[in-house]
Amino acid sequence: MTGIASHTVRPGHAGLTAALGLLILLLIWETGARALSDSYILAAPSEVLVWLRDNRGLMARALTQTLTNAAMGFAAGNLAAIALAGVALVWPGAQRTIMGLALLVFCLPLVATGPILRVLLGPGNGPQIWLAALAVYYTTLIPLLVGLRAAPSVWLDLIRSYGRGRGAELIYVRARAALPYLFAGLQIATPAAFLGAMVGEFTGAERGMGVLTTRFIRAMDVPAVWALASVAAAVSILAYAAIGWLAKAVLRDKPPIILALPPARSAHGTRDALLVCVLALLLWWGLMQGLGLSRFFAKRPGDVFDALFLAPDAAETRMVLLDALIQTIIYVVPGYLAGLALGAGLAVLLILAPALAAVAMPVAVALRSVPIVTTAPLIVLALGRGALGTTTLVAIMVFFPSFVACLHGLRQAPGQIMDVFDSYAAGPISRLIHVRIPAMLPAFFAAARMSVPAAILAVTVIEWLATGRGIGSLMALSASLSDYDMLWASVVAVALLSVLCHAAVAMLERRVLRVFAAEQAVT
Amino acid sequence: MAAEQPFGDPPPQITCAGLSKSFAGGMQVLAPLDLTIAAGRTTALVGPSGCGKSTLLRLIAGLAEPSAGSIGIGGVSPAQMRRSGAISMAFQDPSLLPWRTVRSNIALAQKLVRQPADPAAVDHLIDLVGLTGFGDTRPAALSGGMRQRAAIARALITRPRLLLLDEPFGAVDELTRRQLAQELPRLWEPQGTTTLLVTHSVDEAVLLADRVLVLSPRPARVVADIAITLPRPREPLVIHRAEFRELAAEISAALAEGAGQPPSQAAE
Ligand SMILES: Nc1ncnc2c1ncn2[C@@H]1O[C@H](COP(=O)(O)OP(=O)(O)O)[C@@H](O)[C@H]1O
Ligand SMILES: [Mg+2]
Repeated sequence: MTGIASHTVRPGHAGLTAALGLLILLLIWETGARALSDSYILAAPSEVLVWLRDNRGLMARALTQTLTNAAMGFAAGNLAAIALAGVALVWPGAQRTIMGLALLVFCLPLVATGPILRVLLGPGNGPQIWLAALAVYYTTLIPLLVGLRAAPSVWLDLIRSYGRGRGAELIYVRARAALPYLFAGLQIATPAAFLGAMVGEFTGAERGMGVLTTRFIRAMDVPAVWALASVAAAVSILAYAAIGWLAKAVLRDKPPIILALPPARSAHGTRDALLVCVLALLLWWGLMQGLGLSRFFAKRPGDVFDALFLAPDAAETRMVLLDALIQTIIYVVPGYLAGLALGAGLAVLLILAPALAAVAMPVAVALRSVPIVTTAPLIVLALGRGALGTTTLVAIMVFFPSFVACLHGLRQAPGQIMDVFDSYAAGPISRLIHVRIPAMLPAFFAAARMSVPAAILAVTVIEWLATGRGIGSLMALSASLSDYDMLWASVVAVALLSVLCHAAVAMLERRVLRVFAAEQAVT
Repeated sequence: MAAEQPFGDPPPQITCAGLSKSFAGGMQVLAPLDLTIAAGRTTALVGPSGCGKSTLLRLIAGLAEPSAGSIGIGGVSPAQMRRSGAISMAFQDPSLLPWRTVRSNIALAQKLVRQPADPAAVDHLIDLVGLTGFGDTRPAALSGGMRQRAAIARALITRPRLLLLDEPFGAVDELTRRQLAQELPRLWEPQGTTTLLVTHSVDEAVLLADRVLVLSPRPARVVADIAITLPRPREPLVIHRAEFRELAAEISAALAEGAGQPPSQAAE
């Protein structure tokens, strides 16, 4: 009983490692900035600090505004996620449909829903809050669904053996067993809420970090752009860490690792997909109709169909759309694959050098929580508005979550099996190939699946902000020209593309897991 | 809820008629079983692992539905008995909730059957199963045997009319196991509990039970039904007595015979 406390890891040790990693990062940054001081790419941490000191009033006002919107969206989105998870729990038959719809809505490109919400809701904070909510609910819903079903069935049997039903199961077992998953979701949601709020501000808000970002990019004010990015990153990292601390204080047990549901084998895959499509169309039509929104900007499914297939200029519309889509695909696919490969590869390398991993892990976790809207302008400054910048950005967005997931997965290799390998004096490479990599695969694929919407978000944001190519740019152009037919058609096209890619990855995942990790795959 | 006091009622008799269970894929776990388990007595089930002992217990607890046949517990169905809060089951896996301490895991059972909280009784049971001083410890910090003892305490705290113990001492060390086997029956005997004990230890079965049912490999059927007439209370040293060893030998022989026979030749 007394031995328990003495076995816990020394507190402060992990914090020290993280601080060391951060220090190294800052040093590299400062040195790099000094070396490139004439190139208008990189502002050094010292310059950023000076800029922040000189503009602290402006910065504080913008930050307060963005944080308020992000917090409101965070609350709304997460409450929605909890409510949806609740529905899926009491009505298990609806779970697949709910997840399909939720994924579809999550795949709506923020850069297009932003302008549309701006027209629908007018000036003010509405779009910022909505976008923040849209950016967070999915990443909370998925872990929560896992968590509510994570309790071993014998715990539920225990409750039932005392004569109690589903209500008691929820109160005494499921809710508590899901808490770590909820916290993990909330943690990922914090930077996402910030991102949503900032994208909302891009679409013609008056105040906030997003407004400043667009202004300073246009002015090519390098220290200002870096200062904004640093503040946004710092705030996101701090919020992320704060939720982590809260979780640790409340739960006292380790947070769970695999956050995505394994893809369920679908006996009725096509039927379910059709049902989701029909429901989505009905919901879309019903919402526009129910709110009595003007057909001019609030297009119905029929309007989009008309524009794409029946209108006199339908063929041209289709061509423009397809061209933009293909351009986007050309950019996003290499970036996505490179990000995945780098993430998994680096994780494998680091597991062979555990000391290095201890330093890299907290840095990667921190950088993962930097919202993409802050990275995008920096990448544009550094690599220009061409293919390289876009691909790099996508790769970065995919890299961090896959790296973190893979490293977790590699470490998850069951201790007993490792002991067996040790007893045969097997080397690190053989352990890696036979135990660790198969143990990593589920985490890798979960990250690959969740990275699909992230990659498409990244590519549309940078196309919209900077490159002037692809579907993101087409959406920006249509929004500014009030070409709502094209805007809505683009939204549909992007959402469909995301969902299809997601489904393709899930299919691959099922095949691979069936062979390499049979016990984890749903059969 | 009606103010019924399950532990005030007499212990129930269990009747299984033509009871069988098959799982998806057509695997038959229980051959049709006809059994009567006496009220207020301790019946031990021994049999090779995988023969269907846990399945039988789950059926009696109303946690699973039979594929054929029926179970009556004191004249009602298992589900009805379960809903009245009169059953306690100690699962093969201790299944303590990891976020609760030992004390609050035990107290949870009382809460679930809507009995008034009784901290003194909880502490008494903690002492009795040899966990003195561990009341505020979480399961993760306990050994496997300690967790099983906490689970036994949780099963006893509600003073059930029907107590189902699924290999409750599996991970408990030999010495503690003998102590528990000595102590625990004193808890359930005076209050009149029908106890069904699954075990793979022949000695444990003889020491604790009034009757031992030996089961064959899957699909389980009863290959021997042995009454244990040793007087109670049974001291630990009773296991060295000749009568005890004879009974144990008889059970072991039945186990071996049951395992050696092809299931098709089973009639009885
Ligand atoms: N839910 C289930 N689905 C399919 N097979 C099961 C299930 N539960 C138990 N079995 C099978 O039934 C057989 C008997 O299991 P069990 O009752 O746990 O045996 P034991 O006698 O060791 O307690 C085993 O072969 C087991 O694999
Ligand atoms: Mg069993």
